[in-house]
Amino acid sequence: MNALPLPVALADVLARGDVWRGDTLASLAEAAIPSGHPELDAELPGGGWPRGVLTELLVDCNGVGEMSLLLPALSRLSQAGGWLALVAPPWLPHAPAWAAAGIALERLVIVRAGKDTAWSIEQLLACDGFAGVLAWPGEGIDAKALRRLQVAAEGRSVLACLWRSTAAAGTPSPAPLRVALASGSDALTVRILKRRGRPASRPLDLPYSSSIPRPGRRSRAVAGPVLSLVADRGLAAAPAA
Amino acid sequence: MLGDAEAVAAGIRPGQKLATALGLLPGLSVFERAAARERQTLENLACWAGRFTPTVSLAQPNELLLEIGACIRLFGGIEPIVDAVTSGCAEQGHTPGWAVAPTPLGARWLARSGSGTIHREAASLHAALAELPCHIADWPADAVARLESFGLRRLGALRATPGSGLRRRIGNRPLDDMARAWGDVPDPQTAFAFPESFAIDIELPSRVEHAEALVFSGQRLFSALAGWLSARQLLLRRCTLRFRHDDAEPSDLALRFAEPAADEARFVRLLREHLGRWQLPAPVEAVRLQADELAERSGESVPLFAEAAHGEGHLACLERLRARLGERAVQALDAVFDYRPECASRERDATVASRSPAGQATQRQARLPASARPLWLLPTPCALPERAGSPDWHGPLKLLSSPERLESGWWDSGEQGAAGDVRRDYFVARNPQGQWAWVFRNAEGWFLHGLFA
Repeated sequence: MNALPLPVALADVLARGDVWRGDTLASLAEAAIPSGHPELDAELPGGGWPRGVLTELLVDCNGVGEMSLLLPALSRLSQAGGWLALVAPPWLPHAPAWAAAGIALERLVIVRAGKDTAWSIEQLLACDGFAGVLAWPGEGIDAKALRRLQVAAEGRSVLACLWRSTAAAGTPSPAPLRVALASGSDALTVRILKRRGRPASRPLDLPYSSSIPRPGRRSRAVAGPVLSLVADRGLAAAPAA
Repeated sequence: MLGDAEAVAAGIRPGQKLATALGLLPGLSVFERAAARERQTLENLACWAGRFTPTVSLAQPNELLLEIGACIRLFGGIEPIVDAVTSGCAEQGHTPGWAVAPTPLGARWLARSGSGTIHREAASLHAALAELPCHIADWPADAVARLESFGLRRLGALRATPGSGLRRRIGNRPLDDMARAWGDVPDPQTAFAFPESFAIDIELPSRVEHAEALVFSGQRLFSALAGWLSARQLLLRRCTLRFRHDDAEPSDLALRFAEPAADEARFVRLLREHLGRWQLPAPVEAVRLQADELAERSGESVPLFAEAAHGEGHLACLERLRARLGERAVQALDAVFDYRPECASRERDATVASRSPAGQATQRQARLPASARPLWLLPTPCALPERAGSPDWHGPLKLLSSPERLESGWWDSGEQGAAGDVRRDYFVARNPQGQWAWVFRNAEGWFLHGLFA
């Protein structure tokens, strides 16, 4: 009787990128983009933001550093010559700030899609010409549309991020990576709701200022007197004698 | 006179008088043959065939010769070319008789007989030609009749007869043609000259009232255009479709491509998006496609190994998004040197910018303000209430920076739509929910203007 080749074959199978064991984190077929936060990379399958799959970022309060969390990866993509797209952003992007963050403005596209948001995202993902697609699909997107987006992103080297509210955390989604973000007093709390691999045990705190750059001074509030300078417009405009 | 299957079943034959035919089948629809339109169709087809080979010849009135000897390797054999030609013709509503042979005249005769065979070698061509009847070559009727009276009904028999005697009896032409068809003497063809500019019309078989239904005719036009582009080694940047209506001025639909393209599928995809939004003023009776702006095509390499299928690329995608969402919905950003935050970004055409010279970006970066700027701006500053001396946005805002005075814009104050003269003190602030905001205070009070996301 011949020697059984089975154990070798099993090891080969387990070494494949698209097969992962329940107790370890999956490695990915497409190289992930380092997030710029080593403690977060350690928790993400493939060691960074995955490419070619849908990533959901769930956040309720905006302005807590959620975009700053992504910026290192985005600027890396942009500097490498990739195109970025923002689909249906809820506010106006302020060009000087994006440029200062290392995003090449000539390769940043803003799409105001209206009711065709899901269609636009799908086109952008499937065309294979974009390195990053960030989309705000709103409340209206359903599981079927998400599934279409996941299929469109599959196998492409695109970082596909959907911003949704934490109300969506309870509903199932085809996105292989779902991350909820919340603001702590001095750290951004990153809770990985779903990933390929064992469930994350506890939320991760990325401290403000050291990990997530924040403007302004840390703790001390600026005292009142400066306000009075502004209030009297006539005084401020008076020429110094 | 030529009838369709139903007419032939009713006994209508070529050469009959029209009155006889109408007597046999009352209610017969009679169409007059339009030579000019036939020629036009043949030329359109020749343009379309430019995708296969640059050497196309028209053989009037209804034959097209493609010299494919040099392209066999490119397409991977003769059969793929034949399949592509026949299926392409079928898509355009033609059912060609075809043949592949080493000599042009041999191929024409075989195609006329509807053989549909591929002859790679001279020997197999000769064998096939020998079986053809003499009337297949459109020689003068009296020459054919005389051959018939000699008992020479097939070309093979004619070939076997000594030539000099025949020449005296039926003239030179049949024997010269025979020599060309058999490949004894060379038979150069006049190549079809692909027109300098491209504009073709097609009449629609019936009036079209819905824009979506025009996609099919558009497809035919674009497939001719793609062949012409390929033969002339050009790329298309802009084209116009002109729809002619029964009782209204013609309407134009301009298609602009983000980058010069020659891909038929891409043309049709873009057309589909445009027609989805197009309102027809009146039913359409004819469509004209005109190439307005062209670009030279540079050579491109084909990968040696089979590679994973790639998508269409960002420019093709943007042009499709723009076709569906409107020109203004797909924009890129420019940083503008202006202290007023609402004036510091300017939107511009995302696809045009891709061709703008690089290097401006570094210049711009050098001029950026040093202090913190938020990633998001509100479309208009949002007034905040003031409670207990501090602004309130989902709870009292704690100011985290000293004020940054922005005072600028006297030059466009009072102008329509301009930001005008502003005098504001900006602060970074944070509320109890942990949100970082960019707020300012001016003479009217507190305003929220941006988010440090």
